[in-house]
Amino acid sequence: MVLQVENLHTHLHLKRGILRAVDGVSLSVGEGETLGLVGESGSGKTLTGLSLLRLLPKGSGRIVEGSIRLDGQELTTLPEAAMAQTIRGRRIAMIMQDPMTSLNPVFSIGDQVSNPLRNHNIAQGAALRSKVVEVLTQVRIPSAEKRLGDYPHQFSGGQRQRIVAAMAIGCTPRLLVADEPTTALDVTIQVQIIALLRQIQADTGTGIILITHDLGVAASLCHRIAVMYAGRIVETGPVRRIYKSPSHPYTQALLAAIPRLGEKRSRLQAIPGQPPSLIDPPTGCRFAPRCPARMEKCAEQPPIVQLADGHEAACWKLA
Amino acid sequence: MLALQNVTKHYKTRRGTVRAVEGVSFEVRPKSTLALVGESGCGKTTIAKMILQLERPTAGAIAFEGANTATMNAAALKQYRRQVMAVFQDPYASLNPRLRVGTIIAEPLLAHENPGRAAVEKRVADVLDIVGLPATAARLYPHEFSGGQRQRIAIARALALRPRLMVLDEPVSALDVSIRAQVLNLLADIQQEFGLTYLIIAHDLALVEHFSDDVAVIYLGRVAEAGPTAEVFAQPRHPYTQALLAAVPQPDPDHVLNEAAAAGEIASALDPPSGCRFHPRCPLAIERCRSETPEPRGTPHQAACHLVEA
Ligand SMILES: Nc1ncnc2c1ncn2[C@@H]1O[C@H](COP(=O)(O)OP(=O)(O)OP(=O)(O)O)[C@@H](O)[C@H]1O
Ligand SMILES: Nc1ncnc2c1ncn2[C@@H]1O[C@H](COP(=O)(O)OP(=O)(O)O)[C@@H](O)[C@H]1O
Ligand code: SF4
Ligand code: SF4
Ligand SMILES: [Mg+2]
Ligand SMILES: [Mg+2]
Repeated sequence: MVLQVENLHTHLHLKRGILRAVDGVSLSVGEGETLGLVGESGSGKTLTGLSLLRLLPKGSGRIVEGSIRLDGQELTTLPEAAMAQTIRGRRIAMIMQDPMTSLNPVFSIGDQVSNPLRNHNIAQGAALRSKVVEVLTQVRIPSAEKRLGDYPHQFSGGQRQRIVAAMAIGCTPRLLVADEPTTALDVTIQVQIIALLRQIQADTGTGIILITHDLGVAASLCHRIAVMYAGRIVETGPVRRIYKSPSHPYTQALLAAIPRLGEKRSRLQAIPGQPPSLIDPPTGCRFAPRCPARMEKCAEQPPIVQLADGHEAACWKLA
Repeated sequence: MLALQNVTKHYKTRRGTVRAVEGVSFEVRPKSTLALVGESGCGKTTIAKMILQLERPTAGAIAFEGANTATMNAAALKQYRRQVMAVFQDPYASLNPRLRVGTIIAEPLLAHENPGRAAVEKRVADVLDIVGLPATAARLYPHEFSGGQRQRIAIARALALRPRLMVLDEPVSALDVSIRAQVLNLLADIQQEFGLTYLIIAHDLALVEHFSDDVAVIYLGRVAEAGPTAEVFAQPRHPYTQALLAAVPQPDPDHVLNEAAAAGEIASALDPPSGCRFHPRCPLAIERCRSETPEPRGTPHQAACHLVEA
């Protein structure tokens, strides 16, 4: 296993109270494997990703419990200096949700792609320059050599996303966390990014966590899927099991609610209500207020039920 | 109901002329839904703004029930404005955070007819009820609502004047997957009940197939293909429509994505390619495509491509 996360709890200490953004998440990613972390906005996907890099909001964010192991090495207790020197951007890299938060508008892209390579002593001098050209070419920036001096605004949205990917893969990380890498992009550009991530993985064997709310993108890229709802993972399984025989009522409802190409329905099957607040979540099953299968027992936290090899869901209905 | 004839919009900028919309024609049939689709920057929002009279076309005509909006007198224009309402993408940006929901919804009502306080309150309560919110919502502020609820408020506001045409610019793309279906079903119900006509802008092609009767596929300011949605989606004729459909990731692990579809990127509207604007990306382009602009052919299912027979 490249990554093994067990019972991770990440809290944000806000004026309004303690926000339990990640509330007992366990997941794993193998060599050359892509895990899709899917769920709606605010369910804690990004904060799960940021926890792996220990890049939580300063002051308010804290990992309060659980274990994160990269190739067996525990990261939650690693000193910050070691985290910065040996892990962040080196062995775990993240592609952020909005490419402009990762790119600095006043530095050329050549500078920005060099930075992690220089900081982690991957290359210097002429070798550094040719490495930068190499990774930019790998992410298909046309005439990369001539564009090293250009600034982020001189590139299109799709190209900026690919430049951010170049920064992330330069040091051949063991784990790549890609947070909604295609969300703001058109479908034609989206497929190019999907193809790129696939190619990076084939070339380097990196494990990938793909964070997305788009069930189409997740299906086309992931080997396994973890469905997140209100800070918890409610179902995990191989991609075919999740899409062909979803077991948790939330996964079922989500798959039923999206329109599909080639299928004309007069009405969509909506999920009533809205996700709960993470400051004051319902006790027991967090999907209960919206769940059509809710029963009395659901007021207690549901057990994790093994359904098949590698397929599990947290629900009383399945217990 | 609404007809665009050769509508063109050019923006003069310091860097040159942006050809945002170029000779676009289509018709929206009464009580039906027409969808505009296409990549970011292809001109969809500009078309919507011209219909809403927020921008003036550089050339061409927009007619509402046969009357050209450019030659309407002040009274007719006022009438037009109250019959055509809009709901925009971002429910956070489109509602004034300092006003109570009741005031937000009553605003167009007061501007157009000012029927008196009691009547206004009643109409506000009525439209809130239509969108599934309690009458007490009128006293609260936008930040006290979720994204989906805010989009319901925006819809209630658009409904207050009982419009006949609604322009919906990406009405659900800012909302969560689990909330989108609620809002789309609501829009469908309202259309049924009040006989509304919709022009919807959306980039989610599965949603467009589900929600619209007719579709116009726009590429760099021009209509590439248009017609009944069922026909266009079942048998796309234009290479661009084919590429778009092939690129949609589907919630099915057995679906194979065509990664080669529409390689490259949309050109700049500042300097659009000659001839067929899609030719630099078109896998089927022939010599003629570089120099000659293809005319739309076929009816009601039309495509503007040299390879498509009428
Ligand atoms: N006020 C303006 N001045 C100059 N150019 C403009 C202006 N408004 C729009 N444009 C340009 O016109 C073209 C069409 O823009 P428009 O906003 O209509 O695209 P769109 O299809 O709605 O895209 P999106 O899906 O990103 O919303 C783009 O190239 C855009 O940059
Ligand atoms: N910097 C922050 N300050 C306060 N709340 C935050 C911050 N970042 C995230 N949150 C909250 O934490 C929860 C989980 O957020 P996030 O991990 O970003 O969700 P997702 O990526 O699934 O959309 C949400 O309720 C969100 O509003
Ligand atoms: S535990 Fe109960 S409420 Fe939760 S998903 Fe299962 S059946 Fe529904
Ligand atoms: S006209 Fe030519 S370039 Fe344009 S879509 Fe048809 S074949 Fe392709
Ligand atoms: Mg996020
Ligand atoms: Mg737009």
